[in-house]
Amino acid sequence: MYVLGTESTAHTFGVGVVRDGEVLANERDVYKPVKGGIIPGEAARHHYELGPTILKRALEKAKVSLEDIDLFAFSQGPGLLPCLKVGSQITNYLSAKYNKPVIGVNHCIAHIEIARKVTELDDPVMLYVSGGNTQVITFENGKYVVFGETQDIGIGNLLDKVGRRLGIPFPAGPKIEELAKLGKKYIPMPYSIKGMDVSFSGLETFISKILDKYKIEDISFSLQETAFAMLMEASERAMAYCKKESLIIAGGVAANTRLNEMGGKMCEARGAKFRFMNKEYAGDNGAMIAYTGYLMKDYKQEDLTPRPNFRTDAVKVTYR
Amino acid sequence: MKIIAHGAEAIIYEDRNEIIKYREKKGYRIDEIDSDLRKSRTKREFTILKRCAENGMHVPKPINISDNGESIRMEKIEGVQLDYCFSLDLLEKVGNMLANLHKIGIVHGDLTTANMLVREKNLFFIDFGLSYFSQKDEDRATDLFLFKNALKSRHPNEFIEAYGLFLSAYKAAAGKEFKGIETHLRDIERRGRYHENG
Repeated sequence: MYVLGTESTAHTFGVGVVRDGEVLANERDVYKPVKGGIIPGEAARHHYELGPTILKRALEKAKVSLEDIDLFAFSQGPGLLPCLKVGSQITNYLSAKYNKPVIGVNHCIAHIEIARKVTELDDPVMLYVSGGNTQVITFENGKYVVFGETQDIGIGNLLDKVGRRLGIPFPAGPKIEELAKLGKKYIPMPYSIKGMDVSFSGLETFISKILDKYKIEDISFSLQETAFAMLMEASERAMAYCKKESLIIAGGVAANTRLNEMGGKMCEARGAKFRFMNKEYAGDNGAMIAYTGYLMKDYKQEDLTPRPNFRTDAVKVTYR
Repeated sequence: MKIIAHGAEAIIYEDRNEIIKYREKKGYRIDEIDSDLRKSRTKREFTILKRCAENGMHVPKPINISDNGESIRMEKIEGVQLDYCFSLDLLEKVGNMLANLHKIGIVHGDLTTANMLVREKNLFFIDFGLSYFSQKDEDRATDLFLFKNALKSRHPNEFIEAYGLFLSAYKAAAGKEFKGIETHLRDIERRGRYHENG
């Protein structure tokens, strides 16, 4: 069975193809704003313009044609509505044209499903860290439950906001990571954890006030150490409370080496397992949508419109 | 000394029929963050337990802080964690007790059914590791929000009824202060999590 999946919740337009759950192709292109943050309409235009090319590339890579596809999957949310519409429209159109079923996939769940497949950790806690999303997700009672999350902005968003103030272009994460390696002096910063949740806006405000007092390397270092320690604490609390023995870090910020190093150390001390997500599948991608679509192949869905606020726990998981 | 629990943050020992809560060093944090967090949290937790006990609340009575500032010695409560003896008729007690905690200026910060002990129908709050002093409606609302989520994830089948019982008891005990807290609760629910209907 061939499943084609499209991802278009935010910056990335991706197309993946899987055959019986095995990834054959995973192509993408990422919209990068010239300056400032994401403009949803512009990102959507990027997706419309590049969509057909990415689709073609994925099909070539997978060595299949659209006639071969048995199921079309798309990322239904959460995400930015103008962006979500692109994937939804392309997929629904293809489904109608080739008379094959279509399925809407929850973006956050797709991250955890591809992570489970790639890392072979069956029942992990997942720390999902991207621009807009920062969630600690785990499987309980037939659903993926958000155990902890940011009460305000996402971690990637925090890095980008601070980056903008420091004159670093989007996405700021990689550059901040590089600068942080050169930082030596820790500047005490607000560490805000509320139960299972974290909060980053206080950190952002604090940094905005000390920009000219410290070196950019030390600010980057202290920012990473503080924010990531908060994420680790929230993840560890979820692992302890839900009695889970492994951790996965996924999402765009999962590319950060220091964050992974901390994940490894935390798990080692607990006697839990930690595995790196490889870069190919850590960030937003089409393969995770195709793969999750494959898992959900027997689902009957009525609502196939984009769901910008699609909740992780709104999906009843019957395939696991 | 015998280890009786090993949480995410601390190890709980039993020693001479008393409890010692030791905050572990976390290797993933740099020392500057780690040492400061562990000491300040230990000190704050001790002060909070003391304030609770002085106000007649059911909590483990604190005895002392160790010289290195990393452990608290406290009274041992012989009870069962609420998540292991979950019963709807205890939820009103939770609401009532939380309102009283808020009235003496304390926010628990980590309210789950695992952080409550039941001893002969009496309810005790434990683990004040993330507690802080605050009279703000918003912070109080965070407690309600966290407990709601804890109920939802840990006790999904009883969730609606349990939360209803808890909230009405809290409301009754909080009195006229409830209105402001409720407004913040709605606000946190809106901005924190994705909500399909706005």
